[in-house]
Amino acid sequence: MNAHVVTAPAVPPARTFRPAWSARAIAAFSGTTGLAVKIVLLSLSNALAAWAGFVLADKGKWPALGVLVLATATLDWIYLSKRTLPLKFLAPGVVFLVGFQIVPILYTINVAFTNYSTGHVISKPDAIQQIKLVSLEAPPSARQYTMAPARDHGGKLVLILREDATGNGYVGTKEGLTPLPAGSVKAGALGIVSAPADYKLVKGAALFGLDAQLQDFTVPTDGDSAIRPQGITEAVELRPTLRYDAKRDVFTRISDGKVFHDNGRGSFVSGKEELEPGWKTYIGASNFRSIASNPLVRAPFLRVFAWTIFFATATVFLSFAIGLFLAIALDKQGMRFQRIYRSILVLPYAIPGFLSILVWAGLLNDDFGVVNRTFHLSVPWLFDANWAKVACILVSVWLTVPYFFLVAMGALQSIPAELIEAARVDGGGPWQRFRRVTLPLLLVATAPLLIASFAFNFNNFNVIYLLTGGGPAQGGSNVAGATDILISYTYKLAIAAGKGNDYGLATAVSIIIFLIVATISGIAFWRTKTLEEIR
Amino acid sequence: MNKKHAIMAVLVVALAAIVAAVAGSVNAAVKAPTLTIWTDADRQTAVTQVANQWAASRGVQVNVVQKQFGNIRDDLGTVAAADAPDVIVGAHDWTGKLAANGLVAPLYPKAATLKQFPAYTLNAFSYGTAVKKLYGAPVAVENIGLVVNTKLAKVPTTWAQLEKEALAFKHKKSGNLAIAVQQGTNGDAYHMYPFFSGLGGYVFGKNHAGNLDPSNIGVASAAFTKHASLVDKWNKEGLINAKVDATTAQSAFLKGQAAFWVTGPWNIDTIKKAGIHFRVIQVPAIVKPAVPFLGVQGFMVTKYAATHDVSAAAQDLVANYMMTPAAQTLLAAANNRYPANTVAGKSVKDPYLAQFGKASVGGVPMPNIPQMDSVWSDLGGAWVKATKGSGATKASVAFKAASRSIANKIG
Amino acid sequence: MSTRETTAPGVAIAVPVAVEKRARPRLKFRDTWWRHAVGIVAVAISLFPVVFIVSSSFNRDNSIGGTSVLPTHFTLGNYSRILHNHVQDASHPGSVDAPFLHWYLNSFVVAAVASFLTVMLGALAAYAFSRFRFRGRRLGMLTLLLIQMFPQVLLVVAIYLIVLNVGSLGGPFHYMDLNTLTALIIVYLGGALGVNTWLMKGFFDTIPSELDESARVDGATPAQIFWGVVLPLAAPVLAVVGIISFIFTFNEFVVASAILQTSAHQTLPVGMRGFIDQQYGQRWGPFTAGALLAAVPVTVLFIAMQKWIVGGLTAGSVKG
Repeated sequence: MNAHVVTAPAVPPARTFRPAWSARAIAAFSGTTGLAVKIVLLSLSNALAAWAGFVLADKGKWPALGVLVLATATLDWIYLSKRTLPLKFLAPGVVFLVGFQIVPILYTINVAFTNYSTGHVISKPDAIQQIKLVSLEAPPSARQYTMAPARDHGGKLVLILREDATGNGYVGTKEGLTPLPAGSVKAGALGIVSAPADYKLVKGAALFGLDAQLQDFTVPTDGDSAIRPQGITEAVELRPTLRYDAKRDVFTRISDGKVFHDNGRGSFVSGKEELEPGWKTYIGASNFRSIASNPLVRAPFLRVFAWTIFFATATVFLSFAIGLFLAIALDKQGMRFQRIYRSILVLPYAIPGFLSILVWAGLLNDDFGVVNRTFHLSVPWLFDANWAKVACILVSVWLTVPYFFLVAMGALQSIPAELIEAARVDGGGPWQRFRRVTLPLLLVATAPLLIASFAFNFNNFNVIYLLTGGGPAQGGSNVAGATDILISYTYKLAIAAGKGNDYGLATAVSIIIFLIVATISGIAFWRTKTLEEIR
Repeated sequence: MNKKHAIMAVLVVALAAIVAAVAGSVNAAVKAPTLTIWTDADRQTAVTQVANQWAASRGVQVNVVQKQFGNIRDDLGTVAAADAPDVIVGAHDWTGKLAANGLVAPLYPKAATLKQFPAYTLNAFSYGTAVKKLYGAPVAVENIGLVVNTKLAKVPTTWAQLEKEALAFKHKKSGNLAIAVQQGTNGDAYHMYPFFSGLGGYVFGKNHAGNLDPSNIGVASAAFTKHASLVDKWNKEGLINAKVDATTAQSAFLKGQAAFWVTGPWNIDTIKKAGIHFRVIQVPAIVKPAVPFLGVQGFMVTKYAATHDVSAAAQDLVANYMMTPAAQTLLAAANNRYPANTVAGKSVKDPYLAQFGKASVGGVPMPNIPQMDSVWSDLGGAWVKATKGSGATKASVAFKAASRSIANKIG
Repeated sequence: MSTRETTAPGVAIAVPVAVEKRARPRLKFRDTWWRHAVGIVAVAISLFPVVFIVSSSFNRDNSIGGTSVLPTHFTLGNYSRILHNHVQDASHPGSVDAPFLHWYLNSFVVAAVASFLTVMLGALAAYAFSRFRFRGRRLGMLTLLLIQMFPQVLLVVAIYLIVLNVGSLGGPFHYMDLNTLTALIIVYLGGALGVNTWLMKGFFDTIPSELDESARVDGATPAQIFWGVVLPLAAPVLAVVGIISFIFTFNEFVVASAILQTSAHQTLPVGMRGFIDQQYGQRWGPFTAGALLAAVPVTVLFIAMQKWIVGGLTAGSVKG
């Protein structure tokens, strides 16, 4: 940027700067009062940290406790040391930034290296437990019983059982079934109501305290079969179909001896057969590899990428151009209704975004939408691949123009009038004045905003998802529609990837997206020399 | 500087000591064992009533938590064990995913109880690649049907009659719809299913064990492809228009711009309020019976019940109490659905519900295996491509592409 | 309206101050007719969907974007029902609780607190970047911008898990547990440093450091310089950032819906989403009525603070 203008000569102020009363009031809090405030705030934060520390220690979360101690110590050092002035200003914002932006980003990156998807959600011990539970089958005899826990004369826990089919009564222990005299066990609507005298039925709230014991209680019958309590009034005869060997960490199927081993990717497998559920585990860079190799992911990637870039660029360019044009057009001094025009033009910004988009989706409907009806058009806004793209750009521009209108208004006002005068004196026409003077200054001023808006629209999930859902469906691949941008495409992968959801893959793709956007933005910043502004 | 340090140190120690004492006392309070139930807003009152009745008879406590229906399934996988529910309400097509994730426990209702339920409701909640287990207690069933505005059209008995009447109505005035069935840009395979099944299509076939077989995809089955040209005919006549979305379909029917609407019992009240006389039938058979997808809602016991040591209680509530006719009537009536229990079903008074019930005969429960996720958008998309008016793809081409895409995704 | 005025001789600060109106040059219609034409067209396009939103809110039909601009069945029922905190439920005989005023209050509280703190945190950081030269300064500013480019949609899961796991520890963490407004505010503060900091830094850059110097010579501490001298002068950009933050947090949906679970604690966008739950029929009437009511404070803010917004947005970025 070459057009610098000399301001009023910098004369040292003739008198001390006197801020307004509010500023004086705030300033009054500095000084000794300020010191007191600082001490109180610091003590409070340390006390809070101490309390939190106790809670963490109580729950045994040692790494978190370590982090907490480190963070508190760092904060104390920042605010007590004399050499850390910049950090004193940066610390509060950075604390939140780290906690709720950086940590989630790190966590998300972490997920990309796992197999977190449908079927791989719980931990391995839980998975083993669950496999054992769901692989129980009903044996041929498949007897069902009404049950009640009871205590025998020795106080030991036993089950009083009454076979549903025959009405025979039994007492069940970990050793097996012992029949009881006929008719001694009576059952009613709520379960067993009476049992032989030497057994005391457990009743009321005490029943539920037995849950843990009942979960493990099995009454062996014949072979592998055993009677297991289900609920508080029933028991069912079941037998396992898999046997778990903890030492070798394998499941063996009893019927045919097939061995299922841990495949290192979160499942017990034997050949192509897989036991469910699996568990969540690290699988290294597998997700990233599959982005490159999985045809489902790779095939539409380039197309979607190209459209995303086009969409973001077109939105920013058109919004800025139109916003600037409106700002210039409505910028005339003394023009009537100026304030009204401006207030109305920012209305789209005030209405909740997703409502506007949904309304546009209704207005643009090919056959029933108001747009086509009012203007007697038959443009297939939402159902034709190319027109849908146009529709997406139109709606996102509609949403973004108010923002750039404001920006342009402010930027125009801050261009020194002397510059324009000088250009006019030099004999430049209005268009030349605009191109040579106004525009370059504007671009420099708004470059970071333009780049940030590009990044925002690159990931503008809302517009695409709510307007067209990424559709219409395109060609061969049906994962990515015609208007899917990278982020909505990732979302579809996350929720519909073969066997349910695949968050691991989705987060891997989103990391790639982030790298792409950051690279493009970084290059843009470098090219516009925005970073040079940071003298 | 030293004085500042000293003051600060003193303050910190004092505050920390007070606070630790408070914290310690807070931790001492122990919570009494309770059963936590997650349910949605519609059913909250009914669930609370049923659960309290049960709790009173058993001497336990229940804690009913309201959540958004869709969030229940998603949050179950990420919730911390301490806050996790023991019982949840759910749709039957969650079963496969929840079971594959290891988040729900098998149920063992008594044989006598099971007899009171139609086989498909129990199958809907069953899942298992090796051993099939029942994971849910069905409570309510729902399905879509063809709603006919009896003032504007005669109730058709055959498909040909429906086609004739619908098209005649469409040509009466510009802006009229023949059959109002919602699709929109993303399609709606659920609402289009009767037309799909009526042409001989199916989603997943069954293997020899009677379980859904994800490798047997019927989206472009021989039977369907043979009759796919009918779809092209419908598209040309404008019988079905993919550009109609949910809002358009609803408002068209309510305003009298459509005489036929494919929708479900959730709209009974809306139609009644609009003062329309209507009857609900199953879509007349096309080449085969045009059966709808059946949706079953019910309750499941989560794996956290065992962690919380209330698994016995949870099983008792769900597999026992909630399957009794009395509880079923209450729970199904909560959001105006037909109860799953046939005994309870006998006491349903709403005539429209009964009509929807009749419209469900022969219906197919939505497949509950996790692979079903990959089907919805492809199947819906194929319908949109084939019925979007001018520029539509030939149905056989669209559905074959969809079938290939689904197969690729499932792998 | 001029943005260059002096508050002390010789010191040029960009502060929006109304210029005393000289005798207005008589604007010929020839000069301005095209401007008015542009303005009218732009207004029409801006208002196009808004008209239908308004119409739907007065319509009994629960539809949107019908063929007519005027409501077919005019009613004030949508407004009265949501203001009475219940809404007709299509799938449920009777009505369902929809604590609209609660949601409104929640949204307001969250937006006000979050935007105020965002401005404060951002101003502190922007001041540091503007005034101090330290290692990592340029990298820090670049990092702030790049961090915000991570797709927010996927961060939500991570944020949910953090709030869940930390909040359930108890003790002081109880106050930022899932389903609390505090947790939501804290999460929003994570995004306090970002493009906003750039904006504010640019503005601070135009406040001459001579002011800092002279105050320091007078014996002021760095805190006094910041709070007493620089911050008051930055009022325009603070107002702008505050308003933008307010609008953003007021209308924010994704994170709020992940953290706020039960109806009574929800914010406006989350609560109202339930009105148009796809499967059971869409209740556009109460939804649009609620959305318009929700847009009121934001619009009022805009109109009232127009002058400050226009002056504050980029006044500091153009070097002069």
